[in-house]
Amino acid sequence: MILEAKNVSYFYKAQKDKLILENVNYGFEPGKMYALLGPSGSGKTTLLSLLAGLDIPTKGEILYDGNPITARDLTEHRKHHISLVFQSYNLIDYLTVVENVKLGGQKTPEPILDKMGIGKEFWKRNVLQLSGGQQQRVAIARALASDANVLLADEPTGNLDEATAWDVIDLLKRIAHEEGKCVIVVTHSKELAGSVDIAIRMDQLGK
Amino acid sequence: MNSLQRALRSVIRKPIKSILLLLVMITVCLFLLCGMACRNANVQTQDTTRQAIGAGLRLDANEKNRSKRLTECSQKIGEGQEGSYGGVHQEKLETAYGTQWLVWCDNSFDCLQISDIEKLAVVPGISDYNISTCITAVNPVGFDRIEDPDMDQTNDMGGVVLIGNRKMELDSNVLSGNVTLKDGRMVTEKDQDVCVISEQLADQDHLVVGDKIGFNDYHDPEHSQVHEATIIGIYQTEQLMSPLMAGDTFRSENIIFTDLRFPEKAEGSKNNPCYEHAYFQVGDVDDYDAVKAAVSTADIEWERYDLIDRNGNMSTMSSNFNDLEKISTLLILITFAAGFIMLFLIFVFWTKNRNYEIGILLSLGYKKRNVLGQLFAEAFITALLAFVISFTLAPAASSVAADYLVSAQAEQAELEKNINADKVTYSTVQSEQTVVGVEVDITKEMFLICGAGMVILTAVSIGTAGIGILKKNPKDILSELV
Repeated sequence: MILEAKNVSYFYKAQKDKLILENVNYGFEPGKMYALLGPSGSGKTTLLSLLAGLDIPTKGEILYDGNPITARDLTEHRKHHISLVFQSYNLIDYLTVVENVKLGGQKTPEPILDKMGIGKEFWKRNVLQLSGGQQQRVAIARALASDANVLLADEPTGNLDEATAWDVIDLLKRIAHEEGKCVIVVTHSKELAGSVDIAIRMDQLGK
Repeated sequence: MNSLQRALRSVIRKPIKSILLLLVMITVCLFLLCGMACRNANVQTQDTTRQAIGAGLRLDANEKNRSKRLTECSQKIGEGQEGSYGGVHQEKLETAYGTQWLVWCDNSFDCLQISDIEKLAVVPGISDYNISTCITAVNPVGFDRIEDPDMDQTNDMGGVVLIGNRKMELDSNVLSGNVTLKDGRMVTEKDQDVCVISEQLADQDHLVVGDKIGFNDYHDPEHSQVHEATIIGIYQTEQLMSPLMAGDTFRSENIIFTDLRFPEKAEGSKNNPCYEHAYFQVGDVDDYDAVKAAVSTADIEWERYDLIDRNGNMSTMSSNFNDLEKISTLLILITFAAGFIMLFLIFVFWTKNRNYEIGILLSLGYKKRNVLGQLFAEAFITALLAFVISFTLAPAASSVAADYLVSAQAEQAELEKNINADKVTYSTVQSEQTVVGVEVDITKEMFLICGAGMVILTAVSIGTAGIGILKKNPKDILSELV
C-alpha cells in the first residue's frame, strides 16, 4: 500500500452531528487508477482532502508508505508524496505554460508537456490563452513535474467536453500504468468509474 | 520557481495591480520627502533667523516694589510733614479747596541702578547692552516741532520728547525693525550731545546731519538753560511709533533719540538721570536659556526689577517657522498613518483577491512563509520603483509643497491679524515679519530616512495584512478549490 485510510472518521467542527466519513478503511496501491464514486455530499472530496493532507481526520489516520502523514509536516506530504489536479485546472494566470509546470516540481517541463500533447508553440503562452482541455493537460503536467507517487484528481473532467474528457482519462490511466503512480480520481460519472482499474463507491467505504 | 521569480512575473504581468500600488507608494514617498524637506528647511531657516535677529533680556522696574518703596519713603518723611527722602518729595499746598498734599518722585527714585545694570552686563553670554532713558519731554529751541493744525494745543506742553540710549541700535524701536536710518548714523556709547531726528522733522525744519538743535526745560522755557545737540542721523519708521501720552509732544515724529546722558541735561536735571530700561543682548541665541538663568542668579536687588524675555522678534519670526515646522511634522505623521492604512488595505485586498493563487501554491506544497515571501517581494520591488521615481520628482515636489505651506501660513497669519484687529494693543509697534519663502533641499539623509520609512511601512502593512494567511488553515483556503 502506498496510501491508506485507517479507521478514518470526519465531521465538520461547526456541525458535529453531521458525520461526513465514518470508520473508513482502505488501501491504495501504486500502478493503479482508482475512482471514488458517489453522489454530492457523499464525502468523496473530503476523503480526497484528507488523503492530500489538506486537512486531518477527526478520528483515525492517513498512512503514506505505512507511516502516518501527520508524523511529518503536512506541507512536506503535499510537496513530496502527492500531486493534485483540480476540476477548474487551477493554473496561475500570470505565468506561462512552462512556468506553471515548473511550479509542480524540479523536473524539466518540456518533455512532460510533449508527453501531454501540448505543442511547443503553446509553451510560452499565458495559460489563459489555452482551451479547457489544454489547460487541464497543463495541470496534469504540473502534477507530473513532481516526484510524487500519488496523483489525486478532483473531478478532472468536470469542465471538459466528452472527447477531451476521455483523452484526459486515458492520459491518467497511462500515468498509472506506465509510470507506476497511484492515481485516485473523484467523480460522479459511472462511465468514467467503469473505465478505471478500481471503482470505489463511497457508501461501501464505511458510511 | 522561487518567490522572487514569481514576484517579478506578477509585478510585470499584472500591471493594473502593480500600477495602483506604485502610485500609492510614490504618493506616500513624495509626501514623506516633502514633509522632511519642509521640516528641514524650517529648522535651518529658523536657526539662521534666530541668530540673525538675536534675542535678549530686558530689565524694568518692578511696579509692586515701586509702590512699596514709595510708601516706605513717605513713612520716613512722616505723615503730615513736608520733606524729601530717597527721591520722594512731600509738599503741602494751600488751595482754594483747603490743604492738599503733593507727593512726587524725582529721577533718582525711578531710575534703574547703574551698578546693577553693570553687574548684569558682565554675565557670561551677554554680548552687549543698552540703557534707555524714560521718555523725557523738553522744549524745542531753534526748530519747530510737528503739530496737528486741527488740534487744540492748550493743554499740550508744546514740547518734543527725548529718548536717551547708550547704544541706539539696541533700542526696542530699532530692534523691532520699525526704526531705520535714512541718513547719518545711530548713537553710540561714546557720543555726547548728539541726536537722531525723524525724517518728518528734518523735512519740515530743513535740518540735515551736522546741524545743531537746542532743548531746554519746558516748565520754564524762557529762563532755563538751552542744551544743544548735534544731529548725527535722520531716521524713518515703518509705522508711526505709538505715543506714550496724548498730545503732539508725544507724537511719533517728535521723538528724538539722543545719547544716554542728554535728556537729563535738557530737562534741567543734570546728573539725575532716569534710566527706564536696560537691554542685555545674548551673544548666542541657542544659549538663551542658560544665559537667562545666569543673569537671574546675579547679585542685585532683584525685588526692584522685572526681568523680561525680550525675544519678541525671535518669537514672532520663529512662530512663522514653528507653524511651518508643526505643519511639516503633521504632514509626515499623517502621511505615515494614511500610508499605512492605504497600503494595509491594498495588501488585504491583494491577499483576499489572491486566495485562489495562495491556495494553488499551498496545495502544491509551498510553505506559507514562501507564499508570504512572494507578497513581500512584490511589494518591495514596487517600493523600489516608487523610490526611484519619487527621488526624481522629490526636489520639484518639495519646492511646490514648501511654497504652498508658506503661502498657507501667510494667509493664516493675515487672517489672524484681521481677526485680532482692534482687540489687542501693543506697547511697541509690531514689526512685519512674515515668512515669504524657504529654501528646500533634499539631502542624502532624507533619502535614507524615507527609504527606511517606506521599508518599515511596507513591511508592517503587508505583515499585518498577511496575518490572515498565516492564521488560516490550508483547508480553509483550499476549500474553494478541492
